[in-house]
Formats: sequence, C-alpha cells, structure tokens
Amino acid sequence: MKQIVSPGCTTGPFFPVDFSDGSEDLSQRNGLAAKGQHIILTGHVLELGGKPARNMVVEIWQADASGIFRHPLDPRQQDCDPGFWCWGRARTDADGVYRFTTIIPGAYEDRAPHINVAILGIGLTRPLVTNIFFDARADVVFECVPAELRSRLLAKPEGDGVYRFDVILRGENETPFFVE
Amino acid sequence: MMDDSTMKIDYAPYDDATQTLRQIDKYTPSATRVPSAPLIERPLTLSERTGPTELVSKWNVGKLDLCRLAPDSPRALGQLIHVTGRVTDEDGAPVSSVVMEIWQANASGKYIHELDDHRAPLDPNFTGQGRLVTDEDGRYEVFTVKPGAYPVLYSGWWWRPPHIHFSILGTSWMNRFITQIFFPGEVLNEKDLLLNGVPSRDVRDRLIFKPTDTVMGDLSYIGYQRDFVLRGHRQTPELP
Ligand SMILES: [Fe+2]
Repeated sequence: MKQIVSPGCTTGPFFPVDFSDGSEDLSQRNGLAAKGQHIILTGHVLELGGKPARNMVVEIWQADASGIFRHPLDPRQQDCDPGFWCWGRARTDADGVYRFTTIIPGAYEDRAPHINVAILGIGLTRPLVTNIFFDARADVVFECVPAELRSRLLAKPEGDGVYRFDVILRGENETPFFVE
Repeated sequence: MMDDSTMKIDYAPYDDATQTLRQIDKYTPSATRVPSAPLIERPLTLSERTGPTELVSKWNVGKLDLCRLAPDSPRALGQLIHVTGRVTDEDGAPVSSVVMEIWQANASGKYIHELDDHRAPLDPNFTGQGRLVTDEDGRYEVFTVKPGAYPVLYSGWWWRPPHIHFSILGTSWMNRFITQIFFPGEVLNEKDLLLNGVPSRDVRDRLIFKPTDTVMGDLSYIGYQRDFVLRGHRQTPELP
C-alpha cells in the first residue's frame, strides 16, 4: 500500500554547529587530495531586502572531477575519486557568508559541470534546491530556467581559484530554485 | 537500499496536502526567505537520483544516547524517554543504512548553541545532539530526555512546545528530509506556528509522537514512537 510522505519542517535556529564542522572541505578524503581543479566556492545567502541570512545551513552534492558520483546508481561508482567527498555542508556566518573548499565537477552524459545546492534554516519549512553552473554550455536542467534568469545560476570566477555564488532567497535578482 | 530495487526508484513531486506550508502566517521569517517566484520544474538526472549514502563512513555513527556522556556517566535531568521508529519509502520498503541526525533542547528548554539566548540552565550530562544509522529494517532508536518548552524571544509571545528535531540524509538528493516531532497532549501544541502550519489535522497528527510502552526495571522510561516515510517509490512496470 502506498504510504503518505512524512511532513517536513524547518531546522529552526539551533541546528548543531558541530553537524557542519569538518564538512566544508570536500577536497580531502581519507588522507588523499582530490583530483581536479581545487576551488573555494563562497557567497552570501541573502533574504528580502538584501539582508544577510545568518546561521543557514548550505548543503552541496556534486560529481568528482571525472563526473562520477559515489553512489550505487552511478555505473562508474567504483572509479569515483577516493580523495573526494561528493557531499559538503557549511553554515552561514554573521554576514550570511558560506564557504566550501571543493573541485570543479566533471561533465557526464547530458549534464554540464554543476553542483546541487540545498538551503535549510529558519523560515524554510522545506529545503530550497538549485544548481550552480560554471558556464552556459548546454545542460538539460540549465535549459529549464528562463533564458533571462540563467546567469543567476553561474558561479563567478574571482581569481585565485575563488568562485562566488550568492543565493538570494527572495527579492530583487532572486535565485531561481527548482521543484524539490 | 543498495539492492537492485534502488535502480527503479522514482520521485513524484511532494503532494502539498501532505506537507507543511511553505508560507506560514505570523511565522515572519517565511515571508522574507521563501522565494516569490514559482519553483522551476526540471527532469531528474543521475545527479538528483544519487546522494550522500556514504556518510556512515564519514562520521562516527553508532548507538545513540543523548542523556549521558558515557555509558557509566550520570544521566541528564528530566524524564527519560526512549524514541523508536522506522524509516521507509512510499512503498513501505525499509530505508536502511542512512544517517539520522537528532537534536533537541534539554529538560529546561535550553539548546547547546551559541545563538540560544534563553536564560535557562545547560545540563552538563546532556549532549543534546547526535547521529545514528538506520538498521537493515529501517529502524532507529534513541534514549533521551523529554525536552522542555522554550520561548522564541524575538516574537514576544511564542513558546515552542516540547519537540525533537530530526534530519535524515536519505538515499538520494530527492529524499533529504528534515522535520520536528512534537509530544501528544501539550497545551502549547495548540498555538505553535510550525505545528499548525499544516494543511490538515491529519498532517498535524503525523508530526506528533505516539506514546508506546511505559517500562519499569533496571531502567525505567516512557516510550514514544514515530515512523517516517521518505519520498521514493518503485516505478510501475509497463504492461506487456
Ligand atoms: Fe527546536
């Protein structure tokens, strides 16, 4: 018999700080360094009026430099980079800033390099999900976004391996989010 | 979940009638943080159908007891409770070997968190947080104490009823799950903005623990139970 999906709710303000610690750096795993181009992925999470959203939880999920996910559904799972965590979690600071150390994921099949992002925290009864892209090449998910909004899903290189991606939850230049 | 059936799991969009509303009247942060534009539909690719199933290996996940620091340490203050349940998918199949994160206030309504300004005491014997992994039947269990109510200081009136926070990492990016579960019969339940931010009584009931056994013995405690259904169902086979 089909079961009814349980109702979710917000994390609230007190998601344990320890639960984020140590997960901001995806680029080292079991003493090995990840293959690929190491980057800092950072930005603000902002609410209506451009105000920083402090204490939000940001989770990411991405392929390794060869476009492989460490998951049983990926037929190439065995070849996933042993030095790379495909998952990370960070918390925004008092200025609403999050920061990950990761790599630029590889492309695969019908997907351009991209990072899945979920935002959790006060005010959000369900996670907000979107994708970060690194360029505007063809991608089946990128192309679902109205053309005039696509640039909002591009991480902006700032030099020295730093890529900026601001998440605007609501208001002017609002980030496009996907059905979760 | 690592068997062949995982390969055919599909994810229908959430049915809003079964979920907490995105915008809740008087819950002011939802007015400034929930996007104004409609969410965009997209196809589900490998990227969304996979997720962090390997986290069991990243964290030291074992048996969970929030109300003492070590097996021979004194217990935290408060009513000892044993919370149990089962995590399944929409077909009722167990969701095994996934990480569950749990956190809550202590018996006096205080969290171990730098942003908790409630002037209530911490309890040195209460950890207040931890991780466990669901067993092969999707079951979980944790000993803890019943959390206290606490005021939402910015609101000027709102007291949160006792509740426990749950986060399940799931089997894919599509069934990441976070919720709060409440205790039956609490007066504060009637006015809680989040518990009442649901479309129906039926949904509200699924955010409340069921009392189970009262146990007396070397360890005496009250049992509470809450099962969770994560999104995901096997694709219907096409008829020949
Ligand atoms: Fe809480």
